[in-house]
Amino acid sequence: MILNLDKWQKESVAAIDAQGRQLTYGELRDFAGQAGQIMPSRSLLFLLVENNVGGIAWTIGNICAGNVPLILNAHLDNQLYRSLFEHYQPPFVCVPDSMADWYPYETIKSCYGYTLMRTRQEACPMHNDLSHLLPTSGSTGSPKLVRHKYENIEAAALNISTFFELTDKDRPLMVLPLYYTMGLSMVFSHFYVGATVLITNQRMTDRGFWLFIKEQHATSFTGVPYSYEILNLMRFYRMDLPDLTLLTQGGGRMSKELNLKFAEYCRDTGKRWIATYGQSECTARMAWLPAKWAIEKVGSIGIAVPNAELSLIDREGNPITTPHTEGEMCYRGKNVTMGYARSRGDLLLGDERHGFIRTGDLAYFDEDGCYYIVGRMGRFLKLFGMRVGLDECERIIKGKYPNVECACVGTDEKMLVYITDELFKEQVKEELVSRLKLVATSFEVRVIKEIPKNEAGKILYVQLENK
Amino acid sequence: MENLEKYNNAFVQVFGAKEEDLNDNYGKETVTEWDSVHLLSLIAELEEAFDILFDPEDIMEMTSYAKGKELLSKYDIVL
Repeated sequence: MILNLDKWQKESVAAIDAQGRQLTYGELRDFAGQAGQIMPSRSLLFLLVENNVGGIAWTIGNICAGNVPLILNAHLDNQLYRSLFEHYQPPFVCVPDSMADWYPYETIKSCYGYTLMRTRQEACPMHNDLSHLLPTSGSTGSPKLVRHKYENIEAAALNISTFFELTDKDRPLMVLPLYYTMGLSMVFSHFYVGATVLITNQRMTDRGFWLFIKEQHATSFTGVPYSYEILNLMRFYRMDLPDLTLLTQGGGRMSKELNLKFAEYCRDTGKRWIATYGQSECTARMAWLPAKWAIEKVGSIGIAVPNAELSLIDREGNPITTPHTEGEMCYRGKNVTMGYARSRGDLLLGDERHGFIRTGDLAYFDEDGCYYIVGRMGRFLKLFGMRVGLDECERIIKGKYPNVECACVGTDEKMLVYITDELFKEQVKEELVSRLKLVATSFEVRVIKEIPKNEAGKILYVQLENK
Repeated sequence: MENLEKYNNAFVQVFGAKEEDLNDNYGKETVTEWDSVHLLSLIAELEEAFDILFDPEDIMEMTSYAKGKELLSKYDIVL
């Protein structure tokens, strides 16, 4: 069975959520059996999840049963849902019970707090290796998906549980969403060793959140940089959490200062601090910085995860073998996904990457072979750990204000939006804040006389970045 | 800057709110953007504006525009 699921005692607890519900490995196996019965085999379904036991049961149950879920945020933007529905026409949609009334489909089954519905769309032919689909972007509304295969799940589970040294005694606290590659990979890697996932949908600023950690004796916490900004602001260092012995970070670059603060805190309190690097194109984790280097090499993404390989290439595509030389970072491993899907027909495509990917990140390595990211080749930022495409943002602005000329650049701290019309300064900012649901201070709108362009009319972003 | 002005300004900075929209109903229940990130950005703005340091317990209590005024009074800040 996938993820070793048949290896664990049926009474062993696989997951507990903040509402107090729990799921045993036995129940999960039974549910996987049922999921195979209620839909024709290899059915495509949209699975709209919240962070709870039911979300895990439906996700893992369907993957085990051979159905192919596109895992989405239950509270996703309606416009994005419609666009995805039109692109992929799933024959089944599954949503939390409380939201089932909003969808005009025929109910087939309610179980674990979720309702499965039939949409009357035709069955979708899909490639045999395809296991599940995830959105590429949490916020900008692109219908582009990442196509995962079964081998990715097993590889991610093995690699991640190996370098974190996970065991069945672990009780990881999961705040990252299930529809986010790193959140999902937490479930994979912990089920692989028979551990108990503590999943919560509570805000880290809620009292109940901290109660859940303490009462359930969480042993590890995994977050993106903004999770740690929150812990920092919540004065995490003053809290008494003796069971919590492992803190891990991924999902984008964390400020050096904050990284060091947590690394030192962990050193002083006998906990492990492990920073990681990954991409949704590679089933989450691709590199990790061993705890022994957490302080000495702060800011490094470390070395490749077990059973994988990092490398650098120069502009001509030749390998770089000398330390401290920048190049594009490449990755080879079985967790590299098959490719993207942009339409229903793409779900038939096979593996386009064959275990190798150019990450689009500019990096160098040191004498110990530890990698350091220096920038990105592509045009996207990570604001609060959320991947935000700059081109998508320009499209959002132009979609709302077709006559406004704009160009987006920036860093992971702040996006800079250049426009030429003073009158739209506030509106543009409001539109981005409301569409991306991010803090207003993440955006700065600047008015300039003219957007610099080359003769072909292409925007010269380099000139804007140097301003 | 007057204290109330500083207080309002924090909401304007964090939520992109307009000053005239700020009232005692403005909070977690009525503002969709009011999540952890926004809340803590607000806390950070307030801490900087008033040169104070909130306790974790108080941060968990900060659930609305009205509640924030109450909390500030605990730190001897009169709006």
